[in-house]
Amino acid sequence: MERIIFYIIAFIIIVFAMASVSSRKMLRSVIYLLFVLCGIAGIYFLIDYNFLAAIQLTVYAGGIIVLIIFSVLLVHHIEMELEMAKPLRKILTALLCMLGLGVFLYTIYNNHFNVVDNQVTTTTADIGSKLLSYDAGGFILPFEVVSVLLLAAMVGAIVIAKGKKLTDNNDTEL
Amino acid sequence: MGSEAIIVFLIAGIVLVAGANFLSNLISHKSDNVQKREPYESGMTTIGPTWVQFKVGYYLFAILFLVFDVEVAFLVPWAVVFKDFGAVGFIEILLFLFILGLGLLYAWKKGALKWE
Repeated sequence: MERIIFYIIAFIIIVFAMASVSSRKMLRSVIYLLFVLCGIAGIYFLIDYNFLAAIQLTVYAGGIIVLIIFSVLLVHHIEMELEMAKPLRKILTALLCMLGLGVFLYTIYNNHFNVVDNQVTTTTADIGSKLLSYDAGGFILPFEVVSVLLLAAMVGAIVIAKGKKLTDNNDTEL
Repeated sequence: MGSEAIIVFLIAGIVLVAGANFLSNLISHKSDNVQKREPYESGMTTIGPTWVQFKVGYYLFAILFLVFDVEVAFLVPWAVVFKDFGAVGFIEILLFLFILGLGLLYAWKKGALKWE
């Protein structure tokens, strides 16, 4: 049963991934990418990583896609179709992709994967208690540092996005 | 989550969306003529592409949204075990929110929230 579902989800992911890279309309590519990310969330649900799947849906399918859509909408001539690649380039890309596929297949078929019983539980409650615990094995310090990281990201984004305007405002205030 | 739940979800999603579309297609009254394709209320016929570029301002809001999106993602596991940790957990999350609140304060102060 799980195997069938895995193949269904994998099929959806592959189809939309190919549609995403081969679509010549930018906005459509983004929407196909959204489906790919949702499919990956489905895989996470399948292997019982519920929290990770929820993160995948909220942050990637919810946040990152919105960001990409906005950046696509900022582009001047969105209605133009992306131009087709030149034949030589197509061949080189195909060769490169085949090389990558070869490396993956070689690794997969030559590595003897051991089936190990899963000892680590990854329910949201477990993640929460590990994040908040300040005993040995707790992650309270990284948890708080994450907020500093997010703060730095936010400040950096504002500085870059406002750019010149920000310094102009400062000059007038001073 | 059992794998059955996923298959139910998958089928329900497909059936609901496809069913709704099919039903509305089946029931709805269809009419198509030349007049119907004209712009609304004697509007001008458009020349060339009708695309307008979005304001850059949206992008900043999207980035800010993303930061707080991640923050909420961190709040969820805290909320699940909130009762076990009590006051200590509350102080920990207050510190977390305070540091992020500084970011919001910075955005506010620098006029990033202002619509220009």
